[in-house]
Amino acid sequence: MSLITPLYDSLWNEYLVWSLLVALFTFGWLYHHSFFYRSEDGENPNVDDLEVGVFPVHYDDLKLELAWTIAPFMLIVYLTYISWAPLDNIWSSPNGGSFGDECDYFNNESSDLYFDDDDGLKGAYKANCYHTIEITAKQWVWSFDCGTLEAELCESGFTEADGRAVPHLSLQAGNAYLAYMTSEDVTHAPWFVSLGVKEDVLPGQTTTVWILAEDVEDFLLLCTEYCGDDHAYMMAGVTIHS
Amino acid sequence: MGRNMTISRSMVALLLISIAMVVSPAVNSLPTGVNYDQISAGGCNCHAAAPNAAVMVTLDGLPEEYNMSETYQVTISFTGGPSAEGNANLGGFNLWASGGEITPLDATVQSNGPSEVTHTEAGNDYTSWSIEWIAPSHGRDVDFVVHVNSVNGDGNAGPEDQWNKLTLKVAGSLGPGLEEADPYKVLATLIIISGILLAVTVLYGFYRTNPDAFDWEHLAPWLTEWLTSTDHKKIGTLYFVQGLFFLGIGGILAMMIRIQLAVPGNDFISQDQYNSFFTLHGTTMIFLAAMPLINGFANWMVPLQIGAPDLAMPRLNALSFWLQPFAALLIFTGVFTGEGADTGWTGYAPYIVTEGAHTGVTMWVAGQIMLVASSTLTGINFLTTMAVMRAEGMGWMQMPLFTWSILVANLMLFLSIPAFGVGLIQVYLDRTISTAFYDISAGGDPLLWSHLFWYFGHPEVYVVIVPAFGVISEVLATSARRSIFGYRSMVYAMAGIGVVAFIVYGHHMFTSGMSPSLRFVTMLTTMLVAVPTGIKIFNWLKTMHGGSLVYRTHTLWALGFLVTFTLGGISGMFFPSIAMDTHLHETYFVVAHFHYVLVGGTVFGFFSAIYYWYPKMTGRMLDERLGTLHFLTAFVTYNGIFWPMHRLGVVGMARRHHTYFITTDDFTNLPEWAADWNLFISVSAFLFFFSNFIMVANMLISLVRGEKAPADPWGGWSFEWMTSSPPPTPSFDWHNPPVLKDANEHIAHEPGRLGQWFNRLMVPEDHEEVSH
Amino acid sequence: MSGDYDHDHHAPQPWGPHDWGHGAPHNSFSPLFMSMGVAIFLFGMAEAWSYGTYNPGNIPMILVGLLVVGLSLFIWWRQDLSFDGHYEPIATGVPFRGIQIRKVGVWVFLMSEMMVFTSLFSTYMRYRLGIENCGTVFDRGMFDPVTNPTGWQEGVTVTCFEPASHLIASSWWHIAPGAINTFALIISSFTVVQALRYAKMPGLDDEVRRKKVYRYLGTTWFLAVLFLTLKMVEWFIGFYVPEISAIGLHEHDIISLVDEGYTINADHYQHHSYVDEATGAHMVADIQVSASLFYVTTGTHGAHVAGGIIGLSYMTYKAWLGGYTPKNAVSIEYFGLYWHFVDLIWVLVFPFFYLY
Repeated sequence: MSLITPLYDSLWNEYLVWSLLVALFTFGWLYHHSFFYRSEDGENPNVDDLEVGVFPVHYDDLKLELAWTIAPFMLIVYLTYISWAPLDNIWSSPNGGSFGDECDYFNNESSDLYFDDDDGLKGAYKANCYHTIEITAKQWVWSFDCGTLEAELCESGFTEADGRAVPHLSLQAGNAYLAYMTSEDVTHAPWFVSLGVKEDVLPGQTTTVWILAEDVEDFLLLCTEYCGDDHAYMMAGVTIHS
Repeated sequence: MGRNMTISRSMVALLLISIAMVVSPAVNSLPTGVNYDQISAGGCNCHAAAPNAAVMVTLDGLPEEYNMSETYQVTISFTGGPSAEGNANLGGFNLWASGGEITPLDATVQSNGPSEVTHTEAGNDYTSWSIEWIAPSHGRDVDFVVHVNSVNGDGNAGPEDQWNKLTLKVAGSLGPGLEEADPYKVLATLIIISGILLAVTVLYGFYRTNPDAFDWEHLAPWLTEWLTSTDHKKIGTLYFVQGLFFLGIGGILAMMIRIQLAVPGNDFISQDQYNSFFTLHGTTMIFLAAMPLINGFANWMVPLQIGAPDLAMPRLNALSFWLQPFAALLIFTGVFTGEGADTGWTGYAPYIVTEGAHTGVTMWVAGQIMLVASSTLTGINFLTTMAVMRAEGMGWMQMPLFTWSILVANLMLFLSIPAFGVGLIQVYLDRTISTAFYDISAGGDPLLWSHLFWYFGHPEVYVVIVPAFGVISEVLATSARRSIFGYRSMVYAMAGIGVVAFIVYGHHMFTSGMSPSLRFVTMLTTMLVAVPTGIKIFNWLKTMHGGSLVYRTHTLWALGFLVTFTLGGISGMFFPSIAMDTHLHETYFVVAHFHYVLVGGTVFGFFSAIYYWYPKMTGRMLDERLGTLHFLTAFVTYNGIFWPMHRLGVVGMARRHHTYFITTDDFTNLPEWAADWNLFISVSAFLFFFSNFIMVANMLISLVRGEKAPADPWGGWSFEWMTSSPPPTPSFDWHNPPVLKDANEHIAHEPGRLGQWFNRLMVPEDHEEVSH
Repeated sequence: MSGDYDHDHHAPQPWGPHDWGHGAPHNSFSPLFMSMGVAIFLFGMAEAWSYGTYNPGNIPMILVGLLVVGLSLFIWWRQDLSFDGHYEPIATGVPFRGIQIRKVGVWVFLMSEMMVFTSLFSTYMRYRLGIENCGTVFDRGMFDPVTNPTGWQEGVTVTCFEPASHLIASSWWHIAPGAINTFALIISSFTVVQALRYAKMPGLDDEVRRKKVYRYLGTTWFLAVLFLTLKMVEWFIGFYVPEISAIGLHEHDIISLVDEGYTINADHYQHHSYVDEATGAHMVADIQVSASLFYVTTGTHGAHVAGGIIGLSYMTYKAWLGGYTPKNAVSIEYFGLYWHFVDLIWVLVFPFFYLY
């Protein structure tokens, strides 16, 4: 089942497998020892001759301890390694990164976003070029500015969700967008839930986030940096159309 | 800022959007509707700056008390102001209701959603408008807010035009009693009741100590003794009682939160109340419950375990404690004035310094400044004690592991908490005398606060969990009747955690706009945390190998800790991976993770400590059957609360939201089953909350008629089991201090090379003659 | 362990004076009152000021808080006054064996104090390096859409960093209070060591010792008060330079920082050095962040000096009573460690905030 995005899913699945293995190993061990080594009918043999006021005899085994220092270390090295690849997509440079440069509208260049399964370790998103939009946040409303993009590519407006009027952003599937974001008052963070990305929006500074509109879907955008009373209502509808 | 203002601010966002949607693109075209944003900003400045009493607003047709779901015809009208016969247009209005549904009756009125109407362009030519209101079915009070403009018809908005505002409350048929049960008042009442219960329990404790001397003449010195004591055991008990008390208060806050989240779109508490409840829940649980519980046991056990008669600076220790209850008073000041702090326990700038944040934030900050002072003094005291007051024969590597864990925790704490203190003072000054540390317009940087906070905040969570490691090490080894496996690697692992704690905090800021290179570095360091933690878990498991595990309540809690903490550790491994953290940050996955380590880790660890050391502290055994019942109920319900949260977070439930959204035809958010799971979580939460009272009851019953405890009921080896239960004061004989023997025969009597160098550096040459 | 612990748990003396024959301090009301006082003080401060708006009705609350803290200090000292070094706990743990426990405590305390100032300096560096210097902005000149699109513009507020040193280091007279303060602190570090030296000098006549110790401590106290006084002069009051033609002095006023407009609310800061000579145009700057940093960092240091003065007042009084002997002279050393630390911090604060 595709949870969020291919980028995230492959990592998630791999992590899940390792988590299960570690959990099975640990809990199997725990389960076995807690029953196998339980004291029978209240008897209580003092295995290591513990005595009050005497530091107990050392019970250790350097090889074992090294083993479970090195094994987790190797596991995290591997997990770091597989976590490494998607960073190219998250922090791609706006100049000639994974998504090329900003699209050249005079030559009708199109973004052509796709997920390349074979690229790198876990696959990566690729695009010819990207489009730029602007997101401005204030308590407690988002506003999207499509700039000079055609309505086909990006359109902002209003819609209704959960019985209330919310801003709406409409994007075209198969395009990469780079959003420049800023806030007018306090810190906010748009969470494109179905795309699995979020980034804080800071007052007085500009942050960016890549919006990789691959699949056709409608989802809610939520605010995920606490910003005051109507934090939960600070949402927006996002439509990715074909 | 009153409640009305909060509501009106909530309306602003809502109505601004609705109106903007309807009249877009001509948002500012006033004849077709009022721009609500401008109304709220101190008045409708599209016309005149302030409301004008010359405009008389009337709202006809509303009952005093409505019947549920009945339809009422309402007329909005006004007189006065510059509007007059013959003007091009006469005026406009906007009506908002907090409940029910408003629909226009004719073309002069348009709807801006179910709760709001305004005039249309055609409606500009009237001075009265009619609408229909369908009363809500919930029966609570409904607020109406109507704004009316009287215009002179010159076609321009100007100061000649006048406006006024009318608010009206229509009582619900549920009657006033329930409506006035404001959750703040409920909370305040519960806190007061808890306080009274605590006082009664304390009095009862005094009565039980000597039923014949139950009068003021005996009570006064008894109370004075507790208020002024510098004995580490008394202060430990005070910490312990404070910790349990605030665990209850934090629990009550959590229950309020869970009621609110039981069903989507619940309005049990309003958003501003919800926000201050989760803020206070976090602050209370970390600073007023977990830390005092840890300090309670540290105060009790560290001097006993190292064979010292008391802490190094007993009076300072008393100061550390007494700062806490007064800090708690300041932190909760806001609750009693109805303006509790609402910034989240992280208190991100610049929200924390804006006037939009509740006024209670200032007191909350002040209270935390006192907690910082308290923690710093505690850190100094414990580090000094452990460094200098160990008994003969106890080198660094012979200290019991609980003492080691307190040493590591305090080292982390007192080196990190000054950064938080400085941040808090900056915020306090920003909010009082208006300095500009986090004033964005003057160039302030919101990320600076995040850095100062998390530089402290991350070591802080280890400060809370590492002592639990110490407890589990003691409990598991004693229960298995074994020496702990790999004592030295346990110490190095803890020390490793202590060092790594300072360089990983950036993982809280993976989506914060911080420089990607810093994020990348902290991704690597955060991954490293798994190594020492893994060593500890495997060492604990190996400790059981070949032992003879005795099942006592504390053993059950320790095994339970191993399960929950391992799960929390595994879910923690998802966060250093930035690609996943980008999705999981600020979701319920995070909530699940840190409750698995803070409740499943710290709280379970210290529940284990309670069952383990209670006989030593009071001289009475706890009831094992009640203890087992407590473990079983609490362990099951606890997992019922936090396990489903993982899934909820992944599918899109954001934390710190007072409500959540189920997928509709239009937009995907949470699936249908999310609502069911939330209800399940809420029910589990209540069961968990009440199951812990089994332990409280157990402790109280034992105090009265528990079996007398022997000096060493479990067969531990460290010094605390050498003293009687409860221990005398001073805990050890000054003339005959205990001497630790070492079963490994190589006792480190002599200081090592580093120690010799230290001694040369720090002992004054004339020291000998001074001390003789 | 050189302490002598009585086994009889005698009636405690929570109000003091304390019977040190029984070892470590017993009961005390001081911690309770001190916490109460601090809470009242912080509460009063927050009630009296809100975003710079001043509400004088809450001043009594602040005073009550300070009074309660004072009471707690009084109790603390009343218990401490009889301390004659008979009970001075000595460390038993490696590697500190033989060292006074309280000395280790002071060192640990100073480690955490380091972190306080590290955090303040981090804040300073973030803003000093992150916000453009006002002088640089001014040098870039007035706004001109063609030649200078990023310069400042007459009447438009520029957000920039104005280091206090721009005002202070502008003349020797401005720098004088800070310079004198530097020497005052260094000399006071010396006098406190002298007090320690005489207090623990063996074989000294009691009366001579008493006089030497209280005079040196008194001098330290005086220098610390001088430090704070000059700070107030520099911040709020300013001073007057008379006409002494013989050494080329001209009569003029040295204006205090606050009168120069260097305040935490300075969102329209104007200064004569930010006037374009050619056109007469003024650069208007928002320097609230820089001023906040200056006042809070140097103020935190000042608060440490003030804390030292409170401690010194008690120690001078005790010395005047002849309370310091070689047995307990090490108490002066504990204070000296703290005082050297405060001195050391000033040595960092001074160049960062006054010179550079």
